[in-house]
Amino acid sequence: MDITNFLIMKQELLLTLITLFILVSEIFVSDKRRIIPIAIVLFGIHTLFGFLYNSYGSIFGGMYQNSELVNLMKNILNLGVFIVLLQSSTWLLKEENENKISEFFILTFSTLIGMNFMISSGDFLMFYLGLELATIPMAALVAYNTYDKKSSESGLKLIMSAAFSSAVMLFGISLIYGQFGTLYFSELLSADMTSPLLILAFLMFISGLSFKISLVPFHFWTADVYEGAPTNVTSYLSVISKGAAVFIFNILLFTVFRNIVDVWSDVLYVLAILTMTIGNLFAIRQTNIKRFLAFSSVAQAGFILLGLLGTNELGMATVIYFILIYIFSNLAAFGVVSSIENNSGKLNIEDYNGLYHTNPNMSLLMMLSLFSLAGIPPLAGFFGKFFLFTAAAQNGYYWLIFIAVINATISLYYYLIVVKAMFINKNDSPIEKISNNWYMKTSYIICLIGLIVIGFYSDIFEYINQISIGI
Amino acid sequence: METTIFYIISAIILVFSVLTVTTTKILRAAVYLLFTLVATAAFYFMMEYNFLAAVQLTVYAGGIVVLIIFSILLTHQINLDLKKINSIKKITSGLVSLFGFILIGNIIYTHTFKATSSVIADTSVNEIGRTLLNYGDGGYILPFEVISVLLLAAMIGAIIIAKKK
Repeated sequence: MDITNFLIMKQELLLTLITLFILVSEIFVSDKRRIIPIAIVLFGIHTLFGFLYNSYGSIFGGMYQNSELVNLMKNILNLGVFIVLLQSSTWLLKEENENKISEFFILTFSTLIGMNFMISSGDFLMFYLGLELATIPMAALVAYNTYDKKSSESGLKLIMSAAFSSAVMLFGISLIYGQFGTLYFSELLSADMTSPLLILAFLMFISGLSFKISLVPFHFWTADVYEGAPTNVTSYLSVISKGAAVFIFNILLFTVFRNIVDVWSDVLYVLAILTMTIGNLFAIRQTNIKRFLAFSSVAQAGFILLGLLGTNELGMATVIYFILIYIFSNLAAFGVVSSIENNSGKLNIEDYNGLYHTNPNMSLLMMLSLFSLAGIPPLAGFFGKFFLFTAAAQNGYYWLIFIAVINATISLYYYLIVVKAMFINKNDSPIEKISNNWYMKTSYIICLIGLIVIGFYSDIFEYINQISIGI
Repeated sequence: METTIFYIISAIILVFSVLTVTTTKILRAAVYLLFTLVATAAFYFMMEYNFLAAVQLTVYAGGIVVLIIFSILLTHQINLDLKKINSIKKITSGLVSLFGFILIGNIIYTHTFKATSSVIADTSVNEIGRTLLNYGDGGYILPFEVISVLLLAAMIGAIIIAKKK
């Protein structure tokens, strides 16, 4: 094997190197707080490198493959992780976390390596390994606040339900292997998957992945884990982890399971309606902002399925585009929530009453991100949702779109509740003025640019659409 | 003869698996798990996967169960009686499992698997070692290396959970 072939998997290699570097530097750096800028700068360089010196192809006998589209997915995830890292600085600098700063970065990067391998996988073995690598360290991240009982509890909940869903998924994969004697995606492309056994296998597989994306009825872990986890880990879980799972879901549906498109579009149809509706109805009832965002992200996943129901390249492109927008919108909201939690410890929606009078900038950003999540023009979220609906409309799913539009309206209602709390509701003792550090401010600015620019700069969608055709 | 042994081993695995999850004593659960793992190794021996059987015995039966028992002893949970599950939960989960069992069993039973014509793979230690470190077609070096990252990450994860402050 030629050594230049390693350039194909440079994202994973570079990340592994950075992880090891942080692991070693922990020994030599006396003041652990200095690891934060080191890690953020290194990861920033990694993010930049993702766009440069790319080469594509498949190595290791087809177990690992990289294409322009896959590389773009990784770049999108990198951008999101970069924002998450910037936002987690305030939380990491707290006294109780001082002793385990580097571990946060090591675990985060390990899960990202797992997601990258998962997206790049060329067979079910690598896919499964990547999935586990993205899940097991995640449970440790969720249980990071060891002084907080809720955090440990949700870590345990995550790993138990993840193990269960992995088992179901493995059963499905083993049935596929039993039938065809191969795990390689490329050899399964032309396989006949229409027998009842393989449809059962596919359903088991889809259940496992739905757990990761937290589609209804596989969402029961979501609210508890999101609430118990440290807020920055929650944002990582709800945006990056979910995004990676959607990406590989996207790839697999359009490659390995391409032949049973009739089966999976029926399944997705039902899942989409359930996910949007139940996610929304539960979101209305929440009083805790983290649980609220958890259910709102469940509902958003339902909209993503609409794009997949486009069942062609356009559908694929709209999903990737939506994830890109979703990263910026959701991370902006989570950034504000984490900043408020770390400075005042408040997490209820009621506590946000009168936030505008003390923290106007953060309130404005929160409002923009919520509007983007609701899909109000001219923000990026509108274009994301609009394209998803267009993709579904191509195949004539008009009833589904009708239900989706109703759900989008319901979601606007509960997003507006938060906006109303911040801007209109009176509060005698509002949250005091918060001064954010530079990391946080940078992340806000990146999110703000993303929220506004991605919607208007149409070349981005054109580019995604153009490279989606190759898959 | 072989069929009889197969059914005996399967019965052992089934009975002890059920006992593992239904017993209320945590140490007994670990011991029942040991029997399940040993019986699985017997399966591998039956299929003449000698290396895999040896690994199953040393790693799972020898290593992991011992670790589980150690951690039970270290956390002073040895006399812990798990809570009895109420009967409504028992009945509903039993019905769900039965439904799943009938569905999956029926589908697998009615499905005709194609008999493979290819030669049975060489399972000598030599060949396994070569495949494990091969980077070409059908090689497993990449998963092998990725698992090492996974183990490192899992170890660090365990450390931060165990860290006092």
